[in-house]
Amino acid sequence: MKRHLPYSTPEGYFQGLQQRLADIPGKKQATTFQKFSPYLALAAVFAVAVVVGNVIINKTSAPAASAMEVVEYLLDSDLTLSQLEDAIFYSD
Amino acid sequence: MENLEETFKQIVSDYSEQLYWHVRGIVDDHDDTDDLLQDIFMKIWRALPGFRGESGLFTWVWRIATNEALGYLRKKKVRAALQFQSLDAKAERVIDNDPYFNGDAAQRELAKAIAKLPEKQRIVFSMRYFEDLSYEQISEITGTSVGALKASYYHATQKIKEGLNLSDGFESK
Repeated sequence: MKRHLPYSTPEGYFQGLQQRLADIPGKKQATTFQKFSPYLALAAVFAVAVVVGNVIINKTSAPAASAMEVVEYLLDSDLTLSQLEDAIFYSD
Repeated sequence: MENLEETFKQIVSDYSEQLYWHVRGIVDDHDDTDDLLQDIFMKIWRALPGFRGESGLFTWVWRIATNEALGYLRKKKVRAALQFQSLDAKAERVIDNDPYFNGDAAQRELAKAIAKLPEKQRIVFSMRYFEDLSYEQISEITGTSVGALKASYYHATQKIKEGLNLSDGFESK
């Protein structure tokens, strides 16, 4: 014997359901672009965020000193030659 | 194309109500069942041109619906895990607050015990117990062997008995 689920449905539900389901073939199918547009939008936002982030970092950070500038700075400092050698050879 | 539309409308007319109860038996909630039915019939419509009749129409339709319902249960499980929620407690709340539940206290407890079963056991139990499908039919729909289905059904009834504190009297098929 078949047992019944202890559930009911709203009044007139099945008539409305059949009508809605029968309308499915008439609904316009989403194009590939429409299907992927949320992902494309997300990718575009991400790309913009990366570009803007790079611009901000480049604008706000000080330019890196060249190797020659570092050498000049060290030579002009009050460090002795042996201290410089120690710093260079024992820095590794 | 017109022929396909006619076939589709025939499927809607012949199976939509029965399919509603099939899905409702798996997911419990009326609104979730309604949403799933839209998705299921959308899939049926898209797959209809490829239907060659290797399996019967009933089996084919039920296979699509069962897979969709199984996917829903899995997503629900993952969502609950990510939100650190107890799926069992949530299932009990859904049944307790369901405005379309019209069973007695014993049926409410049975519904809660069924809701706590693992997905596959739940599907097998629902198809066998409420829809009265044969193991052979369920096997065709789910692609699982009859032996494995019998084992799943047995384990499901054992868990339900434990959940309801029954030693016997709960009919196994």
